[in-house]
Amino acid sequence: MTLAETQALFHEALTSADPPAPGRLEACFAGTADLPAPDRLAIYASMYAARRVDALRQTFPELAAVLGDERFAALARDYASVHPSSHHDIARLGHALPAFLREHPGPGRPDLGDLAALEWQRQEAFFAAPATAAGRDALARLAPDDFPRARLVLAPAVRLLELEHDPTPLWRALQAGAPPPSPSPGRCAVAIWRNGFEVVHARLPDAEAEALRRAAAGSTLGEVCEAFAVGAEPARAAYDALSSWVAEGWVAAVGTDASR
Amino acid sequence: MSAGRHLGHGIGLRPPHFAAFLGGPPPVDWVEVVTENFMAPGGRPIAVLEKVRAEIPVALHGVSLAIGSIDPPPEPYLADLVRLVDRIRPAHVSDHLCWGRHRGRYVHDLLPLPYTWEALEHVVSRVQQVQERLGRRLLLENPSAYVAHRESTLAEWEFLAELARRSGCGVLLDVNNVYVSSRNLGLDPIAYLDGIPPASVGYVHLAGHADRGTHLLDTHDAAVPPAVWALHRHALRRFGPVPTLVEWDDRIPPLEEVVAESRRAAALEAEADRRIAP
Repeated sequence: MTLAETQALFHEALTSADPPAPGRLEACFAGTADLPAPDRLAIYASMYAARRVDALRQTFPELAAVLGDERFAALARDYASVHPSSHHDIARLGHALPAFLREHPGPGRPDLGDLAALEWQRQEAFFAAPATAAGRDALARLAPDDFPRARLVLAPAVRLLELEHDPTPLWRALQAGAPPPSPSPGRCAVAIWRNGFEVVHARLPDAEAEALRRAAAGSTLGEVCEAFAVGAEPARAAYDALSSWVAEGWVAAVGTDASR
Repeated sequence: MSAGRHLGHGIGLRPPHFAAFLGGPPPVDWVEVVTENFMAPGGRPIAVLEKVRAEIPVALHGVSLAIGSIDPPPEPYLADLVRLVDRIRPAHVSDHLCWGRHRGRYVHDLLPLPYTWEALEHVVSRVQQVQERLGRRLLLENPSAYVAHRESTLAEWEFLAELARRSGCGVLLDVNNVYVSSRNLGLDPIAYLDGIPPASVGYVHLAGHADRGTHLLDTHDAAVPPAVWALHRHALRRFGPVPTLVEWDDRIPPLEEVVAESRRAAALEAEADRRIAP
């Protein structure tokens, strides 16, 4: 056998739902009376499966808490069988689990895809590149004429997540170790960011979510502030939101055309 | 012993011990980290590593290079590795003598290669490519194995020695893996150690394993067992003073317990030194 053929057979023995016949394995791999070659490959195969379940449990601990060990392991195995790892970091294995759960929701819990999306984005925020936050006076220093044309550069850890269920009641219950409440259907937007090394998230009012969406897309501050026009006291709402973004470290820089 | 300065005796730096390392002077001479866990551009792990690196040497120990795979190492992985090496300036960069990637899919395991001349030529060429890319020597660790290839015509130690001679790479000699593989595959661990050229050894790994009845499993979840310490004594006689690194990756105990293992490695070395001294 060539090296390529040997690796293909070994890979098949670890990953295939229908493993190679014992004779094929015995022809290629050496075993002993008390541990024949197929049993030796089964050691690798069981570690292959367990490692995937463990990696996904690390990324989605709250999802695992809702489902319990057995159901989570079954989900992880089903998912990993159609989404094999293509990244050198096994922590990236779960990138498509939120979509997988939305396509295959469990009975009675249509909100688990959203919970998985929240956990995935929290992990992304945890590992995002650091950024020095713009100072609290970054906006105040803008000349009045520059303000509408200026653009915000958000910290890489800041993300906006659009969900079909409000994750807040479920998240709170899980943090408190309480039984999961029923799903809370309804579109909502959640911001995720990092405070030092701690990842935090919060539900955003609709106008602020739209403003953050615009800021992330590179819109001008004028366009960002227009997102608040739908509510009462739009100027006040825009001022409060932008002040909190700066205070929370969401803003890495404020750029004007002149500063480009 | 190996070329280069003696780093002393260290431990694997793991997340449960981050706070202890940040809270006081490092309790060991040096640390090793799992490379892939520090490749992300931000977050706590890389920040902790940079702080520790300012105080003591750090080695980067990879698990995803899969140097023996037919698949070449993906460019994004090599780029991330080069970036991390530039950022940390590690004392050593290592991975494993294994394969683990097939048609773009990662097994996330350290799978044994057949020890054939074909595989040797393949791995030599891959090591040379990676070393050129890194601009430095790579160390490769002997894996723990549960199965052997019938096609192998070289002993693992012969393969490693020839690989080091041809490619210029070094050996990260895992004494626990020598013990585990020897028990699982019926090898002679003393012949194994005696087959490794002393000048090729960059440093030594020590760890614990579990007895599963039919085989030993390389679990890194316990103290270094007496049989592995005994084999390490033989390694000290053969290689002389050599840097050691204690790995403890699962059921991780308080830092003091891991540090105590490292101190034991230092004491064994001092004891071996006294015996050799005239």
